[in-house]
Amino acid sequence: MKVSLLSENLSEKLLLVNHAVSNRSQLPILLNFLIKAEKGVLSVSGTDLEIGIKIEIPSKTEEEGETTVSAKTFSELLSTIPIGKISLVTKEKGLELTGEKIKAMFQTSKAEEFPKLYEDKGEEIVVLGKDVFGKGFPKVVFAASQDQTRPALSGVLIKEVEEDGKNFLLMVATDGYRLSLKKNPLDKKSGEKREVSMLVPSRVIRELLVLSKGADRVSVYASKENNQIVFYQGDTTLVGRLIEGEFPLFEKIIPKDFSTKTIFDKEALRKAVKACYVFARSSANIIKLSIQKEKIIVHVNSPQVGENTVEVEAQTSGEENEIAFNGRYLLDLFSNIEEESMVFEMTGPLNPGVFKIKGDDTFLHLIMPIRVQQEA
Amino acid sequence: MNEENKILWKKVLGEIETDISKGTYITLFKSTVLLSFENSIASIAAPSIMIINLLQKRFYQTIKKSVDKHTGTDSKLVFIPKIIPQDVKTQQFKSPLFEIPIDKPMTIGHLPRVRSDYTFQTMAVSSSNQLAFVSATTVAKKLGQSYNPLFIYGPVGVGKTHLMQAIANEVYQKNPNKKIIYTTSEEFTNEVVEAIRSNDTARMKKRFRNVDLLIIDDVQFIAGKERVQEELFHTFNILIDADAQIVLSSDRPPSEIKKIEKRLSSRFSGGLTVDIEPPDFELRAAILLIKAKKLGIELPIEVAKNIAQKSQDVRQLEGFLHRVVTEAKTKGDEITTIGADDALSNHQEEKRMFHPDEIIKNVCSFYNIKPTQIKSAKRSAYLVRARQIAMYLLKKELNLSLVEIGNILGGRDHTTVMHGLGKIESFLTSGVLSGEINSITSRFKNY
Repeated sequence: MKVSLLSENLSEKLLLVNHAVSNRSQLPILLNFLIKAEKGVLSVSGTDLEIGIKIEIPSKTEEEGETTVSAKTFSELLSTIPIGKISLVTKEKGLELTGEKIKAMFQTSKAEEFPKLYEDKGEEIVVLGKDVFGKGFPKVVFAASQDQTRPALSGVLIKEVEEDGKNFLLMVATDGYRLSLKKNPLDKKSGEKREVSMLVPSRVIRELLVLSKGADRVSVYASKENNQIVFYQGDTTLVGRLIEGEFPLFEKIIPKDFSTKTIFDKEALRKAVKACYVFARSSANIIKLSIQKEKIIVHVNSPQVGENTVEVEAQTSGEENEIAFNGRYLLDLFSNIEEESMVFEMTGPLNPGVFKIKGDDTFLHLIMPIRVQQEA
Repeated sequence: MNEENKILWKKVLGEIETDISKGTYITLFKSTVLLSFENSIASIAAPSIMIINLLQKRFYQTIKKSVDKHTGTDSKLVFIPKIIPQDVKTQQFKSPLFEIPIDKPMTIGHLPRVRSDYTFQTMAVSSSNQLAFVSATTVAKKLGQSYNPLFIYGPVGVGKTHLMQAIANEVYQKNPNKKIIYTTSEEFTNEVVEAIRSNDTARMKKRFRNVDLLIIDDVQFIAGKERVQEELFHTFNILIDADAQIVLSSDRPPSEIKKIEKRLSSRFSGGLTVDIEPPDFELRAAILLIKAKKLGIELPIEVAKNIAQKSQDVRQLEGFLHRVVTEAKTKGDEITTIGADDALSNHQEEKRMFHPDEIIKNVCSFYNIKPTQIKSAKRSAYLVRARQIAMYLLKKELNLSLVEIGNILGGRDHTTVMHGLGKIESFLTSGVLSGEINSITSRFKNY
C-alpha cells in the first residue's frame, strides 16, 4: 500500500472511529484499525463486534492494499503531528508514516484477521432527514435503559406509522420508569410498500447522533436475516445489530386524559430542579412538584442534608395537584429539549406525569411518579 | 434448542475453551448457541455478522473438528446471526410504568386511610352482624337520608372498621366526586389540637364541615376531651342539617361512653344504633375461609372449623390462620387438622401464663380496692361486684374449677362462685358490664 493524503482530514475523522474501538477488548485484533487504500479513497474501520464504524477520506493512491495498526497509537500520533500532507506506505517492518518533518513506523497485524463489518448491507429501508437525527432522536434516546440485561428496553423503537393519511416515523424509548416518544413526518414516495419497524440499540443511535453532526441525510439499510442495521452518511458508515425482542405495549400506558395542565418555561423549571437536586441526592433523588394556579413549587426535603423550595411561574388550568419524581429524570428531560415552553399534564400523584412541548403534538415524555408519604 | 444440542455444544465449547485464550473465548464463543444439528449440518447462532466473520475465518476448522469428534460425522457448519438470551431469568424485571393496571379507569384511586379491599362484598354476614350490615348498606345507598347518624358498636375484632370502610368504598365507587372523610377519633383530636395550636381553626372547620360523608372510628376515645367534643358537636349539627351522612363506631353504646357530654351522646343515639356481636362459630369459620382465599390458599373446612373454635376475636383468628399456613409451608405439608393443632398448641400455653394473682391484682386496681379486701369475708356491694368479676375472669381466662376459684378468693363455697358467674353473665348478655370487663382484660393481657 502506498497512499498520500492530508493529515487534518484523517485525524478529525479518526475520533469517530475510536468510538467503536474498545480499549479493553480481549481480542488483540480488535484494538486495531483496519486501514485500506483503494482508488481515490483511504478507509479506516474499527469495531468492538457490537458496533462498527468506517470512515472514508479522499487520498491519492499509488498502490492499493490493507493492513491493521494499533488504534490508540495511530490516533494519538495523528493528533500531535502538524497539519499537512502525509504518506502511508507498507514496508516489511510495518506501516511507515512520513510527514514533512516526521517519520514513524507502526507495528502491523495481518488485515485478514480483522472482521468484516458486514457481508451484505441489506436493502435501503428509509432515508432520514436532518429533523429525525437532529431533533428527533436526541429527545428520545436518553430514555432508553442502560441495562444490557433487558434487551428490549435498551433499544429505540423505530416504526413507521400512518396518521390521518400522513406518514410518520415514530421513535420510542423507555427504561420502564419513563418513556419518550417523538413522531417525525416522513416523505414516502407513493407506491412504496416497505414497512419500517425495528428495535435499534440505544448505543447505535447515540453514535449516529455523533456521526451525523452537520449532515443533511442519512440512509438506513437493514437486514433482518443478518440481524443488522447500517447507517450511511456521506463518507461514514455505522454498523450495528438489531435487537430481537418485544417492545412493551407503550400505546396503552399513554394517558388519554388529565385533570391538571400547566404551562411553564423549561429553562426556569430546569434551574429550579437543579437547585433542588443538590439536596435530593441523599434522599433517592425525590423532588416534589406542587402545581398551583400561577406557579409550580419545586420542593425537596432530605433529612440528612436539608431542604429547598423554589418557585417557578406557570399557568395552570384544572385542579391543583402534587406529584413527586426522580429529579434525575426531570433533568435528563429538560437538558434534551431545545424548546422553551413546555406543558405538563397529570391526573393524580400515582399516575404517570406527561410532559409535552407547547404547540407540538409530536413529542411526549412520560415519567412514573414516586409514591411518597403524605405530609401531615 | 433442545437438551441434546445444549449438551453437545457444551462439550464442544469445553474443548475449545482449553485451546484458546480466555479473551478470545469470551468475546467470540460465550454467546454462541447450537440451534440444531441435522444431516451433519450444525447451525450455530452468534450475535453479529462481525463475530461470525471472525469465527469462520479463524475457528471453522477447530469447531468442525470438535463437532465431528462428538458426533462421529463429517459435519458442516452454518452460522446464523441471532442473539439468543442465555438466561431466561433476565427477562423479568421491574418496570413500574408498564405495571399500571390498565383495565381500571385512571380516575379511580382509593381513599386515604381506607383499605380498598374492605368492601361489602368481602364481608361475611351472619346473624350476629346482619342488622349492622343491612343498615350500613342502606346508608351507603341513601346517603344522609335513612339513618343519620349510624352508630355501630361492638367489641374488638368484630368488623366495625371493615363495615365503615366498606361504606366509604361503596360510596366512592359509585361517585368519586363525593367528599368522604374517614378518620379515627384520635386523628380527629390531633387535628383539633393542631388547629388550635396553629391558630387556624377555620381551615379545619372547612375541612370537616364540607363533606358528604364523615366516618369516625373508635369515637369513645374523645371521652374527657372537652374541646374536641365541642368541635365534634358543632360539626355534627352542621352536617346533619346539611343532610350529610355521619357514621360512628365505638366499643360500647353511646349511653355508656363515660366522660362525654350529654348533648353529644344524645346526638349519637339520634339516628340508628346497632351493635355487632362477637361472631358465632359458623361466621368465624366462614371468615377464615374468606381470609384464606385472599391469601390464595385452599383451606380445608375441617381446619377452618378447628381454628374457629380457638378464639372469638377475628384478628386473633387471622393470626392463627397465618401461623397454620406458615407452619404448613415451612414443613412443606398440606394443611391438615393435625398440623393446625400442632401449630396452635403453643398458643394454648401462652394463654395459661397469667397467674390467678395477676388477674386479681388487676381487678383490684381497676376498682381501687386491696386484694385482701376482695378475699375478705366482707360483702359490701362494691366488693361483691369486684369479687364476682374476678370469679368470672378466673373462670374464663384460666378455666379453673369452681372450688379452686372459691379457694383463691378467700375460701368461698363453690355455689357462691357459681352464683357470681351467673350474675356476671346475665349482666354481660344485657351488655352492661362488657366495657369494664374488656378494659380489665386488656390491662393484664397487655402486661
